[in-house]
Amino acid sequence: MPELRRDPVIGRWVIISTERSKRPDQFLSGVEKEEFARGEKCPFCEGNESMTPPEIAALRNPGSKPNTPGWDVRVIPYKFPLLIPEGDLNRHGHGMYDIMDAIGAHEIVVETPDHQCEGVPPAGQLAKIFNVVIDRIADLEKDARIKYVLLIKNYGRAAGGGHIKHQRMQLVGTPVNLKRVKEELVGTKQYYDYKDRCIFCDIIKQEQAAQVRVILESKYFIAIMPFASRFPFETWILPKEHSCDFYKTPKDRVCDFADLVSQTFARLRKVIGDFPHNVVLHSAPFRRDLGKRRYWETIDKDYHWHFEILPILTRVAGFEWGSGFYINPLPPEDACKSVREPNQE
Amino acid sequence: MNPAPSKEGLRGGRRCEMNELRREPITGRWIITYLDRIPAVKDFKIESNEKKGQATCPFCWGKEDQTPPEILVHRKYGAPNTANWTLRVVSNKFPALRIEGDLNKDGMGVFDKMNGIGAHEVIIETPDHFKDTADLAYQEAEEVVWAYVSRSLDLRRDKRFKYILIFKNYGKIAGASLEHCHSQLIALPIVPKRVQEELDGAKQYYDYKERCVFCDMIREEQDEKERVIYEDGKVIAYCPYVSRFPYEVWIMPKKHASDLTGLDRDTVPCVAKALRDSLLRIKKYLGDPPYNFIVHTSPINGREREDYHWHIEIMPKLVNVAGFEWGSGFYINSVPPDIAAQNLLSVKLEEK
Repeated sequence: MPELRRDPVIGRWVIISTERSKRPDQFLSGVEKEEFARGEKCPFCEGNESMTPPEIAALRNPGSKPNTPGWDVRVIPYKFPLLIPEGDLNRHGHGMYDIMDAIGAHEIVVETPDHQCEGVPPAGQLAKIFNVVIDRIADLEKDARIKYVLLIKNYGRAAGGGHIKHQRMQLVGTPVNLKRVKEELVGTKQYYDYKDRCIFCDIIKQEQAAQVRVILESKYFIAIMPFASRFPFETWILPKEHSCDFYKTPKDRVCDFADLVSQTFARLRKVIGDFPHNVVLHSAPFRRDLGKRRYWETIDKDYHWHFEILPILTRVAGFEWGSGFYINPLPPEDACKSVREPNQE
Repeated sequence: MNPAPSKEGLRGGRRCEMNELRREPITGRWIITYLDRIPAVKDFKIESNEKKGQATCPFCWGKEDQTPPEILVHRKYGAPNTANWTLRVVSNKFPALRIEGDLNKDGMGVFDKMNGIGAHEVIIETPDHFKDTADLAYQEAEEVVWAYVSRSLDLRRDKRFKYILIFKNYGKIAGASLEHCHSQLIALPIVPKRVQEELDGAKQYYDYKERCVFCDMIREEQDEKERVIYEDGKVIAYCPYVSRFPYEVWIMPKKHASDLTGLDRDTVPCVAKALRDSLLRIKKYLGDPPYNFIVHTSPINGREREDYHWHIEIMPKLVNVAGFEWGSGFYINSVPPDIAAQNLLSVKLEEK
C-alpha cells in the first residue's frame, strides 16, 4: 500500500509509492563526461587564475600573492552573476506587482586547485572549504542589504551543473528572505509556540530511538534520511546540539562535520555510484534589528540549521515542481538500510 | 540553471538594464528576471521529442486489453474496450495511489502519515499515436476539456477526496513514461502544497482588497497587452509578468470562477482553443520542447470561492532545476515574459 507522509516542518505531503518501487541498487547512476571545446581550458584550475574575475578570498600558502597559484580553496565572483553587489535595491511597484533591482552577492567557491577530484573532496579538504565558507558568510553578514546567504552545489548536468566538472559550490546572498526558508521558519515557530521545543531536536531524538533512517552519527552531527523524503536517497545532516546559525559553528566542530559529510557521501556512492546531486545549506537568516522584528525573538531556540543532499536520480516532473506534491518511489527506510549495510543487498 | 546567452539573444539591443527581482502577488515568491542577457531558442538545449513508434504502445487502437477497463470513453459505435474510440479514460496501471479502502490517518511521534488512498487515471486524448495536444483539431481538444470536467464531477462525490489534480507530462524530461498523447488525473485526500499556498495568498489579498487577485492580474495583463498571446470573449492566455520559467503561459477564464467543474457549454470551446493554440505556438517556436501543464482549481468543498480563480499553468521544460531553486523556493527566469509573448505571437497558426 502506498503511503502519504507529511513533512513535519513545512507540512508538505509526499506519496511514498512502494507500488512502482525499484530495489535501492537499481538507482545506480553516473555523472556524464565533461565536454570541453577544443583549446578550452578549465578556468578553476590552479595556474588559470587570470581566466576568472579577481578573487574575493582564498586560503593561500604563506607568501603567495592573490590571483596566482598556491591556494587550497578560492572564492571568486560569478562572471555572469544573478545578483550584483553594487547599487541600491530601488524597491518600486508596477501596477499590482512589486519589483526591486537584483542586488546581492553571487560567488563561486572553488573547492580544490586540482581538476581531477572525483565525487567529493577528502575530509581534510572539506574542512578547509567549510571554514572558508563560514568566513565568507560572516563577511556578507556585514552588508546590511543582504538578508540571507544560501550555500548550494550543483553536481552533474541533471542537477543543473555546468559542463566543467571542477568541484565548486556557490554562495548566493539575497536581499529578501527565501520562501523555502520562510516556510521552515514559520513551521518551526508554530511547533515551538505549542511545545516549547525545537522540532528538529525532536526529530533527531525520535530518529536516534527508531534507528531506521539514521545513516551515521559522529560526536556532534547526525546524518538521516528524512521521514517525508521527496527523492530517493535524500539525506540531511544536522548538528545534534541545537544551533540555528551554520556560520557560528566552532572550528573544532567543523572538522567533525566535514568528516561526517565525507563519510556520508562515501556510503551513498557505494550504492548509487557517482550520482548527480544538489546540496543546499539551510541556516537562519541574518538578524540585525531584533528589536523591530518580534517574530524573530525565538529564532535562536526554534530553528535548527541543516545540510541537505538531494540526489537527482529520477526525473522530477514539472508536475511535482508545480504542485509542490512529490511522489517518491523508494521509502527512505529501504534506502537507508541499503546505505547502512551495502554488502547485504 | 539557465544557459549562457548568445549575442542573438539580445533582441534589437533593446535591453541593457539590470536584472530584476519580481514578487508574485499570489504566494509572495520572488523571481529573478533576466533583463540584460536573454538566451535565444538555440541556447536552450532542447531534446527532441520525436516519437519512436506505436509497436508496443498500450494506448493505441486494438490494444485496449493492455490497459485497465475504460472509465469514460467517447465512442460512436462498437463494444466497450475495443477500438473506434476518439478519447478514452482508464485507471493508471501503476497507480501512485489506490482507490480501495478507508482513509486511515496515523501519527508516529513528530511524524504524521495516512495510507495512500486516491484515484489515478489516464486520459488518452487521441487514438493517433503521433499527435500531441498541440496538433489536435479544436473539436478534439474540446473533448479533452470535457473529459476533465466530467471525471472531476464524478470523483468529487467521493467523500475521501479533497483535491483533484489534472496535469500533463509531455516528453521524457518532463516525466512522461509513454509517448502516446495523454494527460493524468489524481484524486487526493490532501490539498497539494503549491495550491494551498495559492489559496492562502489569494485569501489574504481578498481580505485586504475584497477583489480576486487573479481577476486583478487579468485586468493588468489586458491593460498592458504586451504579454497576452490569446484572448476571446471568455478566455485569456498570457505569459505572466511574474513567470517562473522561460515561456511559461497561464490560461484563465475571464469571468470569475473558482472551479473547473463550473465550466459551461460556451466556455469549454474557448478553453480548448486557448490551450491548443498556446501549446502549438510553444511547439512551433521552441521546436517541440518537453512541457508540463497543471490545472489549478479550488479544492472540493461544495462552495464557489470569491477569492480563488481556476487556471491552467503551462511550463515548458527548457532548463534544469538546480540547487538554488530547490534550496530557496526562488526562481530564475532568463526570458522576460513580454519577449516570450512576442516570440510566441510571431508564430503563424493555420485555422483548423
